[in-house]
Amino acid sequence: MSESTPGHVSNLEYHVLLAMADGPLYGYGIKSAVETESSGALMPRAGSLYRVLARLITSGLVVEAEAPEPESPHPGRARKYYGLTEPGRSALAAEARRMRETAALAEERLGTVRSAR
Amino acid sequence: MSDFPALFVRLFPPAFRTQFGGDMRDQILRDAALASRRGVGAALAFRVSTAIDLIRAALAERRNPTWKNLRLPSPDDQERATMSSAWINDLRHAAYALRRAPGFTAITVITLSLAIGANVGIFSVVDAVLLNPLPFANADQLVYVAASAPGSDFPAEFGVSSEFYVQYAERSELIENISTFNSFTSTLRLDDRIERVRMSWPTWTLFDTLQAVPVMGRLPVPEDEDRVMVLSHTAWRTWFGSDPDVIGRTAHASGEDRTVIGVMGPDFWFPNEGTLLWLSSVIRAEDLQIGRFGQRLVARVAPGTDHDALVDELDALASQLPERFGGSANYASFIEQHRAIVRPLRERLLGDVTGPLWILLGSVVIVLLIACANVANLFTVRADHRQRDLAVRRALGAGRGALVRSQMAEALIIAGLAGVLALLLAWLGVPSFLRAAPDGVPRISQAGLSASTLVFAAVAAAFAAVACGLIPALRASAPRLTRLHESGRGSTGERHWGRDALVVGQTALALVLLIGSGLLIRSFWQLRQVDPGYDTQDIFTFQIAPTDEHLVDAATFARFHADFAARIATMPGVVSVGLVENVPLNENVSSARFLTEDAQSDDDDGPHLSYTWTAGDYFDTMGIELLRGRVFTADESISPNANLVISETAANALWPGEDPLGRQLRAPGSEIWRTVVGVVEDTMQNGFRDDPLGLLYLPFVGTAEGTRALTSPAYVVKTARTDTIGAEIRAAAREVSPTAPVYRMFTMEGLAAASMVDLSFTMVTLAIASSLALILGAIGLFGVLSYVVAQRTREIGVRMALGAEATRVRRMVVVQGARLLALGVVLGVAAAAAATRVLGSLLFEVRPADVPTFVGMSATMLLIGLLASYLPARRASSVDPIESLRNE
Repeated sequence: MSESTPGHVSNLEYHVLLAMADGPLYGYGIKSAVETESSGALMPRAGSLYRVLARLITSGLVVEAEAPEPESPHPGRARKYYGLTEPGRSALAAEARRMRETAALAEERLGTVRSAR
Repeated sequence: MSDFPALFVRLFPPAFRTQFGGDMRDQILRDAALASRRGVGAALAFRVSTAIDLIRAALAERRNPTWKNLRLPSPDDQERATMSSAWINDLRHAAYALRRAPGFTAITVITLSLAIGANVGIFSVVDAVLLNPLPFANADQLVYVAASAPGSDFPAEFGVSSEFYVQYAERSELIENISTFNSFTSTLRLDDRIERVRMSWPTWTLFDTLQAVPVMGRLPVPEDEDRVMVLSHTAWRTWFGSDPDVIGRTAHASGEDRTVIGVMGPDFWFPNEGTLLWLSSVIRAEDLQIGRFGQRLVARVAPGTDHDALVDELDALASQLPERFGGSANYASFIEQHRAIVRPLRERLLGDVTGPLWILLGSVVIVLLIACANVANLFTVRADHRQRDLAVRRALGAGRGALVRSQMAEALIIAGLAGVLALLLAWLGVPSFLRAAPDGVPRISQAGLSASTLVFAAVAAAFAAVACGLIPALRASAPRLTRLHESGRGSTGERHWGRDALVVGQTALALVLLIGSGLLIRSFWQLRQVDPGYDTQDIFTFQIAPTDEHLVDAATFARFHADFAARIATMPGVVSVGLVENVPLNENVSSARFLTEDAQSDDDDGPHLSYTWTAGDYFDTMGIELLRGRVFTADESISPNANLVISETAANALWPGEDPLGRQLRAPGSEIWRTVVGVVEDTMQNGFRDDPLGLLYLPFVGTAEGTRALTSPAYVVKTARTDTIGAEIRAAAREVSPTAPVYRMFTMEGLAAASMVDLSFTMVTLAIASSLALILGAIGLFGVLSYVVAQRTREIGVRMALGAEATRVRRMVVVQGARLLALGVVLGVAAAAAATRVLGSLLFEVRPADVPTFVGMSATMLLIGLLASYLPARRASSVDPIESLRNE
């Protein structure tokens, strides 16, 4: 997990940022989105998820945000929503670019390996 | 169910919890519900994996500096829960076991409670007097400034003259604020009430220097001159009935009506607790009297100022004084010798008691160590008896930690009980301890069971628990399983080096205390042998301060006092009555330089001598022996004349090797020649430790010119009725002058005792501590040897059966004890040689390494120790061989 240097984004962090790319989301919503968008590869437990969220907030990539639409009356407590900051958006974009490049590199190499055989 | 996430969320740092705690709980509960729908196994797996995840995350976040400044203590609940239930279990078992061993419990609890109680008691005094900050803001910036003149005949330390104050105040860069201060008793009169009270007459800058603010009214300003006063809270309550409109009221204080402008808070005191009020004064550069020494200074320096740097600056400033203010050649040469003295104000205000109190705390800590050694020994013996029991538990799989814990539980209970009992003892004992303490110790009255004292008691008890319990517990927790084969109590005479070391250690520590108190007892005895030059038996002294209107000058006051003295002399049982300005051991005398006929000019060097005034039968009453010539006649002492009686030391300083009778001397700047008519024996004016002063006795009225009136001299009354005469004197005073306060009633014996109280107080408490140490040490030795004898009963029985004589057996045991004792004594002597140096200034004509004391106290320790060895030895020699073998 993410004892990473600032600037680098771990896999879970990437997916958390990704979940918020469409607009602010609350905790459980982020968790569900991460599970779906990683095709079930990431099923973050509460501790891990909120550690990541805390780290993204303290490094300025994520902020607590307004709820996107008037919430339907909820019997429980008010949810906290989180959204991307501009740096968060750029970090997500940078990571997406990096992943695309490494994916391209992998495909290229795998192609080379295959042809060598 | 709902408790499950909450428990783990609590592990996170508080700030983290506040932000995410709710959402985390939410998620866990929703996922848990999903998991349990998939079956019991899934639910369990979810719980375990979530728990691991939360603990890992929580531990990681606890190390995260982001939450650190927001972090609150939040103990590791779960771990604590399991640990504490184990502890509770062990404590319950230990309590049960101790109830079945009442003798052991009682001895250990009493031993520890005495030692802890002594520590708590002394600590409460140390805490109140030394550890509490002074009642001024930033007190560490406050320094006391005085003067010295190494190589001159001035005292080692004395107050400066006013021009120093002006110079320092105006030109020092390191000093932020400075004030003079003093403390004296004078008359306070409010309506009909008239009393002598303690007051201080500083410059108006005092309160600013101390950064103290009044609770009512304002502080002095230069424009007030000396017409105002600031009241202490006590004066406001006891003299003005807590009048809320006290500001602006006037009272007659130290000779004049003065207006109350402010009232200080109840915590404020300066320079001592008894000071009831502060007058105000202004010292201006324009009207100074150069070279009149005696002003003590308190200054506030910039934070972090180095005292040596301050001394250098003040010396440099002082060296400019003759140039700035003039003065004689003598003054200039004094300035060359002058060196400023700078000390923390704290040291000046608490001074004399600091050393003794730390010594006392150190000695009771030693007593605590000895008590712990004793109790640890008893625990070891007890643990040895249970070796078999412990071996069984160990064989059944109990871990070493569990065994240590079960052993420590007993020590904790014992120490806890002892701690509670110690608080009770301290609560009962501290008041009587305070009654024995020297007068004038600031804040000693506030010593008591404060919060910090309770914390100290808890720490001392915890220390005792660890010291007494841990070593035996560790030893006992590693029982040899072979013990299982033994039928019962061991019968080997194996060495117990740990136990021996404890005996050696406590012998050594007890000897250190014994030697320390021995040195103090010898000092006290030496001090009692000092001949102060006057009697202390059957002498009563008091002062009276008449203010009647017909008393206007030296002559009228002298007449009043002579008449009153004559009246007292007619009282039954009164042998004689004398008058003196400064009674020895109570007041300091003034001093000045004097010139003989041989002096060419005022600037000539003359000896520095002390002087006082006397009338009536002063010398006879005090038992001061006349060596040559005569003393003043009754008439001479109260009528203008220029005769003089001098002490032997003064005679030797003025006219070494010559006959002083008929010789003359004068003060520099004075045209009046005084003629010596008598020489009397030297007296100890300030205390029995000092060298006698060169002292001049002037007649009460002095020469014809308008000399200073002695308004309230001290009377000395020779009578066997020192305990009852006071009331009669008061009654007589009311008749001759109804408004005159009679005060400072003492016996000379009382003053002599008070002058030695720092020594006697330390001596008595250290003697108590060392006796306690001696007894505990002896008990410790007795306990160990008794145990060894009990262990060797079979061996001794066999020896006796084979024909060993009783004396031989006795000697064998005593020699074993003597070996330990000898080692302890050697170590103790070495430790004492290093430790007794702290007694330093308390000792009098005894060196810290006084051989007779060391030898005597070592012998005492050996004697008591051998006695403690002999009792078990006698029991050993009375072993019945058949009985001892049957026991096995």
